[in-house]
Amino acid sequence: MLIRLTGQIDSTNAAQLEQEIMARLDGQEDRSVIFDASELKYISSAGLRVLLRIRKSYPDVRVTDVRSDVYEIFEMTGFTEMMPIEKAYRVVSVEGCEEIGRGANGTIYRIDQDNVVKVYNNADALADIQHEREVAKLALILGIPTAISYDVVKVGDSYGSVFELLNARSFSKILTTEPDKMDWCVKEYIELLKKIHSTLVPEGKLPDMKETVLSWAGFMQDYLPEEAGKKLLAMVEAVPHDDHMIHGDYHTKNVELQDDEVLLIDMDTLAVGHPVFELASMFNAFVGYSELHHEVIESFQGFDFETGTTFWRKSLAAYLGTSCETKIREVEDKARIIGYTRLIRRSIRRNGLETEEGSAEIAFWKERLMELLERTDVLTFSDQEMEIEAVTDNLPEVQAFVKERLDTTNCPPKAKMQIALAVEEIFVNIANYAYAPEKGKAAVRVEVSEEPVTVTITFVDHGVPYDPLAKEDPDTGLPADEREIGGLGIFLTKKIMDDVTYTYKDGQNILTLKKNL
Amino acid sequence: MLKVNRTVENEKVEISLEGELDTVTAPEFEAELREVISGATSLVLDLEKLEYISSAGLRVLLIAQKAMNQQGEMKVVHVNDSIMDIFEVTGFSEILTIE
Repeated sequence: MLIRLTGQIDSTNAAQLEQEIMARLDGQEDRSVIFDASELKYISSAGLRVLLRIRKSYPDVRVTDVRSDVYEIFEMTGFTEMMPIEKAYRVVSVEGCEEIGRGANGTIYRIDQDNVVKVYNNADALADIQHEREVAKLALILGIPTAISYDVVKVGDSYGSVFELLNARSFSKILTTEPDKMDWCVKEYIELLKKIHSTLVPEGKLPDMKETVLSWAGFMQDYLPEEAGKKLLAMVEAVPHDDHMIHGDYHTKNVELQDDEVLLIDMDTLAVGHPVFELASMFNAFVGYSELHHEVIESFQGFDFETGTTFWRKSLAAYLGTSCETKIREVEDKARIIGYTRLIRRSIRRNGLETEEGSAEIAFWKERLMELLERTDVLTFSDQEMEIEAVTDNLPEVQAFVKERLDTTNCPPKAKMQIALAVEEIFVNIANYAYAPEKGKAAVRVEVSEEPVTVTITFVDHGVPYDPLAKEDPDTGLPADEREIGGLGIFLTKKIMDDVTYTYKDGQNILTLKKNL
Repeated sequence: MLKVNRTVENEKVEISLEGELDTVTAPEFEAELREVISGATSLVLDLEKLEYISSAGLRVLLIAQKAMNQQGEMKVVHVNDSIMDIFEVTGFSEILTIE
């Protein structure tokens, strides 16, 4: 039975209203009650109590078309959680409005100077809107600067959520109109990203990105050679669970500058997981998506492919805190594996294999994915560790990487020099002997512990088992003509470090240097 | 990076080093040094601006010292503290004539 509520309901008319309604409901076969609140202007607690008493006799009660100020009363008093209460949606048009953001699930338009609306692609988006609101609230509570929607509106046949966003400009717009601000954008963009990635999310509050990526890898089994497919799946499975937040769609249209504050928008993809999953979606947004047809990025971000690529590379360098090309490439390759996987799946699901253009795109990404799968074994990375071909030509890069790690500590210049010396001796030793006459890789890890402040540098190679420490020390008391030329490196290392240890484990030479500061 | 400045007067050679004498820079310096000291009777190495030396650099100094022992004399001058540490640890402070 439909009952219309009108005007004000308070202690002056509540009792009378209750009698009237009860009388109308009495004897009805249909026990469900719908209150049409489109003309309801106010309801006091006396009125609310009437609704509760009616609900006791007729549990199937709903209130529809509630004006937003009245809806607030229902929300504040907890009624929205007790019974279905539906807002009357304001109708908003986005015709002629500037598009300021676009994500997987919707498009954001500016509707006036102070407000933006996110219009959802899915026509039945109320659940999505609710979800985004929940996760945005969660992010805000956990310290991430974001906007939370305050109203749900109707936009044509779709729903939209409205946010207050004053004087805001997206980073895409800044990069497009003020290219000289690139470095500033990188800095702010990465600072916010690091904040997101260092935010621990209480268990179960957000979906696990690994599960999603596992489903992509599973999908790919039918489209990759068996061996490659299995390797992809195993690599994703091996990524450890991570309870830190990731945004999931972190590109420059979703980062806004509002006055002096950097704000994150489009929160519906928020998840937890390893940062490599985030980097994968960033790679796609700036490079992967438009890698075959460079013009694609312009319609999406506003700036050109070159700007996107430069921004991505600079951002990755800043994120990893390194300028070492080898390190940047290593992590980029891991991101690309997941990125291409996602792009191929997406294209196939949109029937890409049935069109010429789609097939060309899929083949392009697949070729790259296959090549990456060939030479990559793990998807995780650490910004304290780099893997590099062990050849002396790479020594400057290793030194630069170690130095960058030490620059963030209070390492005195003398200790820095001694550490550089030890790093050179050990790395050159590996380059000369570990794989000769073949070539191979070495991993270098830098760790700094507090109290006492100790720098630990670990070298790992897969070469022939060799303990450089076993060699006898040279006699430093001999005169020049009797001294052997060479053989000083390891001795010097032992002398200037506080501890040097060697172990051979699981086919790896592991050499560790320790320096107390 | 290593900058090598040299002056040759008759059989006297003076070389000043600036920067880093390491695995990367040592081979080129070794070749240059071997060429320039052939026939020299005096070699002075000025290390005032040398910031870094590794075993690859020490190796070149030892080669020079051995060669000059045969044909004349060699001095190392203006050694700064951090390089001196390395000389001491490796016994080079005894091998080289340091002023």
